[in-house]
Amino acid sequence: MNRQIEKRLIVVLLALSAITLAQLAVGSLGEQDALAPNAAITSSAIVIALIKVRVIIREFMEVRHAPVLLCRLTDLWVAVTGVSLLGSYFVGMALSTP
Amino acid sequence: MRTVEGRASGVRFVPGQPDMWAFVLFEALVFTSYFTVYVIRRTQSPDLFLQSQAHLDLRVGVFNTLVLLLSSWSVARCVHAAREGSFRAALADAYLTMLFGFVFLASKVREWAAAIAQGFSFTTDEFFSFYYFLTAIHFLHLLIGFVVLGVAVHQSRSFAGRSPELVETCATYWHTIDFLWVLIFALLYVMR
Repeated sequence: MNRQIEKRLIVVLLALSAITLAQLAVGSLGEQDALAPNAAITSSAIVIALIKVRVIIREFMEVRHAPVLLCRLTDLWVAVTGVSLLGSYFVGMALSTP
Repeated sequence: MRTVEGRASGVRFVPGQPDMWAFVLFEALVFTSYFTVYVIRRTQSPDLFLQSQAHLDLRVGVFNTLVLLLSSWSVARCVHAAREGSFRAALADAYLTMLFGFVFLASKVREWAAAIAQGFSFTTDEFFSFYYFLTAIHFLHLLIGFVVLGVAVHQSRSFAGRSPELVETCATYWHTIDFLWVLIFALLYVMR
């Protein structure tokens, strides 16, 4: 296999793995308050996950080389998912707070 | 342009068959709707969801995520090898991807068994209903992924009619399993 491609795939894998391990740290933050909602941890978990998803789509699925329409459609899905999840969380928490 | 030369020359191309991309985008939207319903329901009973979530082992979630990331890496290698005509290397990478898939599968079954042994079933509470639903539907996609990987193996083994494009299509499906899990992991194991 082309060395440059091999190197790029390894770098992407290492970056995604490092971010995942960082999520382990984020998830363990404030363990004594694990039973309390935490907007900062939730927001960062969702945003980090969406960054990872976009990296997988662009690098492993090679969408960075795809026609602009496919790039835009995948980015649109990531954006819709982000807005939907974060919006649901913050609106839902605001409505459920007495 | 669908030739290896075309891909090497920087011409933009759709990786795999466009039909698979339509399916992937459709599936992704369906999962977005599941995730949104989960988050909305979660905000209605945050204490219940947090108490139940505390019974999941974050380290198992991280392990499963790393295994699926490795499988995505190996299937991406498989695509590049097939595109370059190195079908022996492509076959090895397809088998490696299957191996990672089996590790994930075994880990997930073990996690379910441990949860059930502790008394947490589908009907225990709303969090565990979502937990089993989301992980089971993802598991089902993983099982279909093994059939899809079988096609990639067949393409790499057969000497007639080898199609790098078909291997790309199979890889596109497998990567989808990976990125959907990345979101499931964040929502079930990490969010508060």
